[in-house]
Amino acid sequence: MSAPRRSSLDIDGGPVIHGAAWGCWLVAVLVWAALTRNPWYLGVTLAWVAAVSWAAQRQPLLGRAAPLWSPWRFGLVVVPLAALFNALTVHVGSATLFRLPAAWPLIGGAYTVEALVYGALNGVALTVIFAAFTVVNRMVSLRAIVQLIPRTYYPVAVVAAIAITFVPVTLRQWQQIREAQAVRGHRLRGVRSWLPLWLPLLTGGLERALQLAEAMTARGFAGGEAAIPPRRQAALVSGLAAVLVGLLLRTVWGQHGAGALLMLAGAGAIGWALWQTGRVHPRTRYRPERWQGHDWAVAAGALIAAAGCLLPLPGQVSLFFTPYPAWAWPDFAPWLGAASWGLLAPLAVWMAAAEAHPLVKDEGRTMRQSHD
Amino acid sequence: MSARGAAWARGAIYALTTLVGVVAFLYPFWLPAVAQHSGGGMAHAQDAPLLLTILVGLAFAVLLLEVQTAAVSAKTVALLGVLVAINSVLRFADAALPGPGGFSPIFVLIILGGYVFGPRLGFLLGVMTLFVSGLITGGVGPWLPYQMFTAGWVGLAVPLCRPLARGLGQTGKLGEVLILGGYGALWGLLFGVIMNLWFWPFAVGSADQHWTPGLGLWPTVQRYALFYVATSLLWDVVRGVGNLALILFFGRAVLRVLTRFQQRFAYAYTPAAPQPALARELRSRPVSSPGQAVAESRP
Repeated sequence: MSAPRRSSLDIDGGPVIHGAAWGCWLVAVLVWAALTRNPWYLGVTLAWVAAVSWAAQRQPLLGRAAPLWSPWRFGLVVVPLAALFNALTVHVGSATLFRLPAAWPLIGGAYTVEALVYGALNGVALTVIFAAFTVVNRMVSLRAIVQLIPRTYYPVAVVAAIAITFVPVTLRQWQQIREAQAVRGHRLRGVRSWLPLWLPLLTGGLERALQLAEAMTARGFAGGEAAIPPRRQAALVSGLAAVLVGLLLRTVWGQHGAGALLMLAGAGAIGWALWQTGRVHPRTRYRPERWQGHDWAVAAGALIAAAGCLLPLPGQVSLFFTPYPAWAWPDFAPWLGAASWGLLAPLAVWMAAAEAHPLVKDEGRTMRQSHD
Repeated sequence: MSARGAAWARGAIYALTTLVGVVAFLYPFWLPAVAQHSGGGMAHAQDAPLLLTILVGLAFAVLLLEVQTAAVSAKTVALLGVLVAINSVLRFADAALPGPGGFSPIFVLIILGGYVFGPRLGFLLGVMTLFVSGLITGGVGPWLPYQMFTAGWVGLAVPLCRPLARGLGQTGKLGEVLILGGYGALWGLLFGVIMNLWFWPFAVGSADQHWTPGLGLWPTVQRYALFYVATSLLWDVVRGVGNLALILFFGRAVLRVLTRFQQRFAYAYTPAAPQPALARELRSRPVSSPGQAVAESRP
């Protein structure tokens, strides 16, 4: 057994990161992409997401690969389109490229560099969001996602589990029906000819649902609550009312402090009701995912990144950038840039694992050395 | 709380979650007001999308909590699970062989299922179809919560067609299918109008682009209308026409099947009352378990 020469980029087959840790990372990326249009910060966020995406490609596929478009191909289409559309509809800015007659509705007016730039920045923000979701789709398994459904939504989780289990069965049944109808001489000609395939699929599925219901009843299945108890119902109604009034205070009457307080109180009441409902359902998990040290690292990195964006600290104003009315290079707060490094936590975890367990070659196979 | 009070509270939850959802979905139209009333303007206008996304999530969480009380029995859970699986397979097929424009076959079952089984099951069918099919096709993205909410609304509102069909004396007739087809066509367009709102602000820019002293709510609506016509109208018309065609072709047959199974699912399971005499008799009867049988057969 010989240890090959290794570099810090040998990160294939790193540890599996917990679904909830990926959730924290995703939220942090969304906070950055949603809050800033400063090209410095957007560029940094895009770079960090691209690095994690590159590393994720080198890990075993746990979830689903990108279905049609890679995020980078998506970006190549969306960034110019968003720039073009913004320039078409927004005629603000000082650096005018050309003008269309102002009488033309909406598209008439000055076409400015600022509008193009702002549109492109919006396209970059969309690309960041899309790329982050692609990473999470790839790295989190279906089972892990179903396990992440809070126990408050126990019936919903059961429905999701049944549906996911029945999808392959339904696909098989679809194939069997097609073959059976083809043997009878059925050919697909137009929409109407789908009925002989579609109806047996539906009828067969509903028959299976009946059998499943009987089996679940025989095994003593107990669903959730038939009605929300009055106290929780009252908390939900008052919480929603507080959120709505707070929102209107903030948007219509400009009462930001009072509005925020009311929304927070409302969210608290709703959170309490959801938590109480969750306590009703004792939860058991089959082969639960283990939360390990590296998951703490990813969650902490995400928290640092999100906190850097959300906390009202000096320099935060540089997040809120607009190129209008005249383009000028925006400010860059170094500590905000440093906070964004938290988004690199998954990459750091994989690199640390590569450092601790170097790749080894054994009888032609390449594997990661284990200390166990 | 009395039964009347509980019903009132349930109605209030539906009304408030819908109101919060509508306000949150329409946030681009509120942005001018946010910028006008805030001292700094930009900061509050730029964090509005994040805040309102959180509010959509909150409203959705409450509505789902209320609606899931419909899924307490094994029958409902199994029925929903299987219907969602069938609809997810349809979306899977649609993802593999995309239809023209925004055409998608998933709305037919959401509409017809909601019509037959009621608003709460319709809402759950819409929400869960988008969730499960999103997981299977890798379609999880920032659009998913909005898609779930909107598809839920499609299923939640469809029972409103019942009084219309009853009023016109068309229940069980061709007119019923036509009404549902019209509903499907309408929601084909509405789904696009609502779904576009989540990313429209990414395409039009920040608040001080579209709020100036002379530019209020109406110009913002105009700008959105242009955006919608330019980018989505044709796409959504295809979806609406597709919904209409599928419901017209398959609606009657599918409604018959769903109604038949609704009757078959209408059984009630009641645990038998304990019968002491029978229990005593069973206990006294020698019952051989497989293990006992093996032991007895040994020499």
